Amino acid sequence: MKPNSEVDFVAEALPAFISEAEEQIEQLEQLLLQLEDAPEDAALLNALFRCAHTVKGSAGIFGLDAVVAFTHHVETLLSRLREGLVKLTPELSTLLLRCNDQVRTLIEQARGAQEDDEATQATRAALVDQLQAASGLQAAKPAPVAAPQVADTRRRWHVSAAFGADTFRNGMDPLTILNYVRGLGEVPRMVCDLPAVPLLDRLDPESCHLTFEFGLLSEAKREQIEGAFSFVRDDCQLHVIQPAATTAEFADLIDAMPDNPRLGDILVAAGAITLAQLQQGLRAQSAAAEQGLNTPLGQLLSDTVGVAPAVVDAALKKQQRSQRSLSAGVREGGGTAAPADDQRFIRVQANRLDDVINLLGELVIAGAGAALLAKQTKQRKLVEANAQISRLIEEIRNGTLQLRMVPIGETFSRFRRVVRDTAAELGKDVALELVGGDTELDKSVVERIADPLMHLVRNALDHGLEPAEQRQAAGKPAQGKLVLSARHEAGSIVICIRDDGRGIQRQKVLQRAWDRGLVEPGVVPDDDAILRLIFEPGFSTAEKITNLSGRGVGMDVVRSNIEALRGSVMLSSVEGQGSTIEIRLPLTLAIIDGFLIGVGNSKFIFPLDAVVEVIANRARPEQLDSRGRGVVELRGQVLPVVSLRALYALEGDEPARGSVVVLQAGNRRYGVLVDQLLGQHQTVIKPLGRMFRSLRGMSGSSILGNGEVALIFDVHSLCQMAAEPSGQPQDRSRTTPSEGLAS
Amino acid sequence: MSEHAPATLKLPQELTIYAVGELHPQWLAWLAEASTQGREEAEVDARAVDQVDAAGLQMLVSLQRSLADRGLRLRLQEPSEPLRQGCRALGLCEWLAAGMADATPTEEAAA
Repeated sequence: MKPNSEVDFVAEALPAFISEAEEQIEQLEQLLLQLEDAPEDAALLNALFRCAHTVKGSAGIFGLDAVVAFTHHVETLLSRLREGLVKLTPELSTLLLRCNDQVRTLIEQARGAQEDDEATQATRAALVDQLQAASGLQAAKPAPVAAPQVADTRRRWHVSAAFGADTFRNGMDPLTILNYVRGLGEVPRMVCDLPAVPLLDRLDPESCHLTFEFGLLSEAKREQIEGAFSFVRDDCQLHVIQPAATTAEFADLIDAMPDNPRLGDILVAAGAITLAQLQQGLRAQSAAAEQGLNTPLGQLLSDTVGVAPAVVDAALKKQQRSQRSLSAGVREGGGTAAPADDQRFIRVQANRLDDVINLLGELVIAGAGAALLAKQTKQRKLVEANAQISRLIEEIRNGTLQLRMVPIGETFSRFRRVVRDTAAELGKDVALELVGGDTELDKSVVERIADPLMHLVRNALDHGLEPAEQRQAAGKPAQGKLVLSARHEAGSIVICIRDDGRGIQRQKVLQRAWDRGLVEPGVVPDDDAILRLIFEPGFSTAEKITNLSGRGVGMDVVRSNIEALRGSVMLSSVEGQGSTIEIRLPLTLAIIDGFLIGVGNSKFIFPLDAVVEVIANRARPEQLDSRGRGVVELRGQVLPVVSLRALYALEGDEPARGSVVVLQAGNRRYGVLVDQLLGQHQTVIKPLGRMFRSLRGMSGSSILGNGEVALIFDVHSLCQMAAEPSGQPQDRSRTTPSEGLAS
Repeated sequence: MSEHAPATLKLPQELTIYAVGELHPQWLAWLAEASTQGREEAEVDARAVDQVDAAGLQMLVSLQRSLADRGLRLRLQEPSEPLRQGCRALGLCEWLAAGMADATPTEEAAA
């Protein structure tokens, strides 16, 4: 039985591994891109190593040998990088990005989604060669050895090993490990950090507080030395420093050391000075003190012993930090910021969450039905009880919808790579700025907006931003700027893509439209209309079709994708200065707070966020044009209104007095003439069937408590419809809504 | 104040992770005793030590530091060969020497 259950376990756990591995790979890419701006950042390099290490380790559990083998080489190089032995150059960064892609491919293969073929294998082998070259090159220089007596092929290493607190509990003994290391060569001197061992009354005898610093004269390779610590690797802070370590490496080592408030100890421990030198410095210090001079120890060491000032600086900073954290730690029990890993997460299957949300939707409807019936009984206690239930349902609803929200920053981050690679391909220098990454939206919206965004970004890079020479000729900085931003606004999320490129060239667009027969040649529509032409199918102004865009399938597909999400896209641009694309999306696709109104025999719902105010019992305006539009005076200002009855040719008796619902769409306000105001209504959105996709102004439908169907307005497109000047040809069909058509 | 010498702490045969849990309270009690005696030195008999590991030596170091904290000097009597070897392995030779010497130790390892 046992082998079977193990196999089952592996099979069950594999998807979780795949998903985690994919996350690590994503993170790896992000880190590499961040490192391009800060190639020496130790924290980033460490995190980079850990990602590869995690993938390799987990892959090992699942027996994915190909992944392990390849990732091992990556890990070796990353280890060198974080030791500071290899510098992260742009070429290396590109190599690592490509290796990361290869790991991605390998994971896909593990998932069964791809087959390994010869081409991929050849690529992999080439990458391995490059990795080995990059790892081996810088580390291979044997430094001149300080010990002159022996004709030495041995190299001088400095090893710092801080065994973690759980070392004993994990069954490891530092003593045997260090004995093993001694077997690799000669240890002229070893120092144990005695002050780090707590006093007896504070000691947990089963926790390990041992840190050792020692030199090692050995012919062994780094892997062998590090290999001695492989069983405690995860728990032990190990530094193996190369011969003739540079000042920077010592400074890094000092930085990484556990807190130790004594400067001299720090330096001795780091091997920057010997104990004898420290004593010499201390004696010099007390001698100076006797003479009334107050010389800092660091300076003395620098002067008398020749420690590099940078190393002393690093040790001093460490000392200050240690002292500060000592006193702060007593007060707050705090220290440095906890890593973000401390946040607790639970993995949830997306479809299970969807099921819960569906049920919740049904609950909302059932609750509304019950509330309606309760109202009819006129029993106060029953009505109150139902009100309480409705409140609770609302809270659960809000909480559950929150579960599906993810920050858009994750999607935005992917664009760093795209922009980097694309800009390089096109030979353009582009700075990408990401704003509002923590703006949250529904997971399914995020997934479906990624492709349209990608296309728009590529477009901006390809067509929008000019090459450096043209920019400079126009008096702009050579580096182009691309800003991706996201924010919440009135129940929607607004995503902007802004570039400071050449802007939309109206004349070119118009010419193309004439050529393509989209506009009668010679007719010049107004500016807004010209910009909207870009979204027409089959449109493209690219002189030569580049690989990325310009194939003419772009913008109209982008728009329809966005509209399928009940969103809208708008383009604004100033020639010579740049363009801005604004995408509006609903926050969630599932449930909506609405305002219910009635016109004739039909009921409609406006998203509550869009309702600014309601004017009840207003006499109808005298003049309405053929499409039911007119104006109304509101507090001294003119408000354009549209009559729903006229717009949709609805039937039913028209009462003498109606009401006006004032709606906000973007930065425009307009009013809608309705018969009845029916109050707030929380509703589950059911999508309109495919037949009704062409219905403009509607974004969905809903079932009311009494079983009636109400259509939900898309405030934005309703506004556009209402704003269109008369006589403009409708490019989409208009159908009259009637009851019972919602699916 | 009593005239006789303070009780000597006898180190056990097994000074390892398996023993430290039990030894810890015993040593704490001995430490409390030793510090009330008003002496300058505390004697520890290290003859019997046969097995040693890092956990055991760590606690020994902790004991020495606690004694020093109370103004007492640790004196290790006749450290056995396994104990010496253990100290050597962990870079505690100087520490050990300081614990055995008669003269005031330089204490540089603990400074």
